[in-house]
Amino acid sequence: MPIHEKNLIEKEDLLEKEKAVVDGVDVSGRWNTFIRERLLSDYHEDFVEEVKSLPGGRTVTNCWQCGTCTSGCCLHTDYGLREFNPRYFIYLAQIGNVDELKKYGDVIWRCISCNKCVERCPKGVKVEEVVHNIDEVLRRRGVTEDTPGSRWDRTYLDNIMATGVLDELGLTLKYVRAEKPEDFTRGFMARMAVKIIRNGNIRTGPIRRRTRGWKKMKKVAEDILERDGYASAK
Amino acid sequence: MPRQNEKMAYYPGCSMDGLGKAYQKSTEVVFRDLDIPMNRIKDYNCCGATEVKNISYDLSVFLPTRNLALAESMGAGTVIAPCNGCVYALARANKSISEDASSRQRLSGYLQEAGVPQYSGDVEVKHVLEVIRHSVGLDAVKARVSRPLSGLKVACYYGCLYTRPKTYTGAGMKEGKDNPEHPHFMDDLLQAAGATTVEYPVKTICCGGGHTIADREVSVGFSAAILNEAARAGADLVATMCPLGQVNIEMNISKITEQYGAEIIRPVVYFTQLLGLSFGHSRREMALHENISDANGVLKRMGY
Repeated sequence: MPIHEKNLIEKEDLLEKEKAVVDGVDVSGRWNTFIRERLLSDYHEDFVEEVKSLPGGRTVTNCWQCGTCTSGCCLHTDYGLREFNPRYFIYLAQIGNVDELKKYGDVIWRCISCNKCVERCPKGVKVEEVVHNIDEVLRRRGVTEDTPGSRWDRTYLDNIMATGVLDELGLTLKYVRAEKPEDFTRGFMARMAVKIIRNGNIRTGPIRRRTRGWKKMKKVAEDILERDGYASAK
Repeated sequence: MPRQNEKMAYYPGCSMDGLGKAYQKSTEVVFRDLDIPMNRIKDYNCCGATEVKNISYDLSVFLPTRNLALAESMGAGTVIAPCNGCVYALARANKSISEDASSRQRLSGYLQEAGVPQYSGDVEVKHVLEVIRHSVGLDAVKARVSRPLSGLKVACYYGCLYTRPKTYTGAGMKEGKDNPEHPHFMDDLLQAAGATTVEYPVKTICCGGGHTIADREVSVGFSAAILNEAARAGADLVATMCPLGQVNIEMNISKITEQYGAEIIRPVVYFTQLLGLSFGHSRREMALHENISDANGVLKRMGY
């Protein structure tokens, strides 16, 4: 059979034959590729349970693998990052194939939360949140490392926790200093800063805006974060 | 006069007082011209956007709920937000409250602890675009146009979270909401203002704004796709309706020029800036000089 989503199969598991004859019938050509027999023995049944226990991951077991999410996915289809396959991530989570998920540790985080998948899912799976929760559980279990995406989320959260509202320039500076993305050179940052400061749009650092009465909110927010294991993940 | 039977609160969101100031200024002018009251929620807080939910579900619902509760205590039945990310976060909180009893209970506890009024879950969330298009209506907009944008070709870029997901925003299901797959409210408005809007295929694609800095490759790729398709369709300008989308595309322009060439670059403006121009306001009043990309050249050439 022609193999769909061939990119999901490891190269060494693909057998391509010059000439293939099955029961005396020549099936060479596009029917000449086979997948090596594999046996999955090391799977983690509790993985899907852990994803499901998180409020955002509750719908993971509703998925019936139609692939609507993936066919419309901005990253998979429009951008063309074929390794980013939310249908497959959910499948792997459901069967608990953590080893295979680990291979995508540097891909899953690249979801940009455009929510087209959630919009279109016929089974009400909150795909985007489920995928982020799969990523979260992988990191909690130490299977995958922190990613630029998870570090960005944390820098963002820390920024708003300070005063209740976002200080965009402060967030950008902090993240750029730590991660040093290649285009955000000193020159580029200076040009942007001049433009922005000249507009008088930005109140950053000590003069940044704050939400009145944030202190009380902050206390409750910190309790929530602590309960959700944020401090320990830091 | 706006068709209103109840008070609307205005949730600016952090960007409107920061990088999106031009959007705020132009929205204020447009609202004043169309007699839409702008009742700001005082001491609002960040809605959590799409970042906080990746860390804590409860916090990502609690943050927007505080703003909704403040709006409700102002006597408002509707919250207007100008940013797609805020619309998403606020609508998601409403959804969480209505569909999940345990989350509702926890939230109520948090609100009490923080000294915030309790929240019923009934405040409707609307985008600025939906309010202008539907609560005010095209006829009222047309009546206000004193300098039609004739000859100007605009590519309307809606972005990702304006209607999505429909189960949160009610898009396509409730009155006054846009079509979730083929939104057209901005096209309607700018056509009413006399502009020509072009058809191009990536109106609702992601702009990569969530990872402007964290994932350069992807955000530059998406921004380039938007500009490229707009240019191919013959647009003079790209109009946006979200401060994150606007700033993301603008910040990527230098990189896109380097990577794909200057011929696909189109200046990016907020749709309210264009509306304001058609209402007879100057480019300076619309704060066009505050945008990072330079639309002044194009607009000047067209005589605005």
